[in-house]
Amino acid sequence: MYDNVIDRSKDITILELLDRVLNKGVILTGDIVITVADIDLVYVGVKLMLSSVETMEQLKSGKSIAEK
Amino acid sequence: MENDLIYVYCISDCPLGIAQNVKSKDLKSLKFDDFYVIVKYVSEREFSEDNFKRNLSNIQWVETNAREHISVIGMIMEYTTVIPFKFGTIYNTKVGLQKFITDYSVSLIENFNHIRDKEEWAVKVYCDRKALSDQIDQLSEKAADLEKQIMASSPGKAFLLGRKKTELIDDEMNLLCKDYGQNYFDEFNSLSESARLCNLLPKEYTGREDTMILNATFLVRKDKAPDFTDTLKKKNEHSDFIIEATGPWPPFSFISIKEKQ
Repeated sequence: MYDNVIDRSKDITILELLDRVLNKGVILTGDIVITVADIDLVYVGVKLMLSSVETMEQLKSGKSIAEK
Repeated sequence: MENDLIYVYCISDCPLGIAQNVKSKDLKSLKFDDFYVIVKYVSEREFSEDNFKRNLSNIQWVETNAREHISVIGMIMEYTTVIPFKFGTIYNTKVGLQKFITDYSVSLIENFNHIRDKEEWAVKVYCDRKALSDQIDQLSEKAADLEKQIMASSPGKAFLLGRKKTELIDDEMNLLCKDYGQNYFDEFNSLSESARLCNLLPKEYTGREDTMILNATFLVRKDKAPDFTDTLKKKNEHSDFIIEATGPWPPFSFISIKEKQ
């Protein structure tokens, strides 16, 4: 039914996923909720993860970090 | 006591006939007034305030649990209309959850009426700035005029005008990207019931070489969704821009809960 333009929710990237579940929906309720500071912390983790994925890909393709 | 915190996924306004799926994920449907809240009892070891916040620094833990959050809501959404909760909304007691439902019941009903029979689609449009800049003389009158002046100038003057053109191209490209982004937004918006613009993400987050020129979400009627996705596909086939769409999502971007006055 869907071609490559449309990704099913199962194949979504972590960024797309977090953009929805952290910042939207019913917010500011609950005895425990994620604060803005917590969200910043999560995105620091995402950035670290993405940069390490990039590093892995560079290593796999034979490029050293110094060539970056 | 184990598993006595209440993790909330979403609210439905219909009883759920999906017992088997719900059971397989240890989910519970708690009824308060006319609402059915889909929850899971979770442990303090993982979800007490301190432990939960500590876990947020573990991106693998966040990803696993965020994917579960969306997959549970998606599963319920296949059967009924849902109001999704933000990831990591936890109540200590049923009394607290019930108070929220009672206090916000009018707003919850308004939200259900707004999102019923609709679904959320996310659309991102990317532009290859290099390919666009190669066509700049056809796309920008200012760039074309300057190119004519360069062609008619002495080598020295042409060099200086060439530097001026490099700066102009950058400004013109920014304007073009903004215009194209707006045009795409307007077109997709005309096929939706409601729309939200989101921040454009820099390359360090997208991991792509091309530039994001539109990041938006659209609330689309379910019966119109095939038209919406067909339009996306057609636009993608006949344009120099890359369109990426994800969905259908629970209507995360179109929920607005207001406290009872």
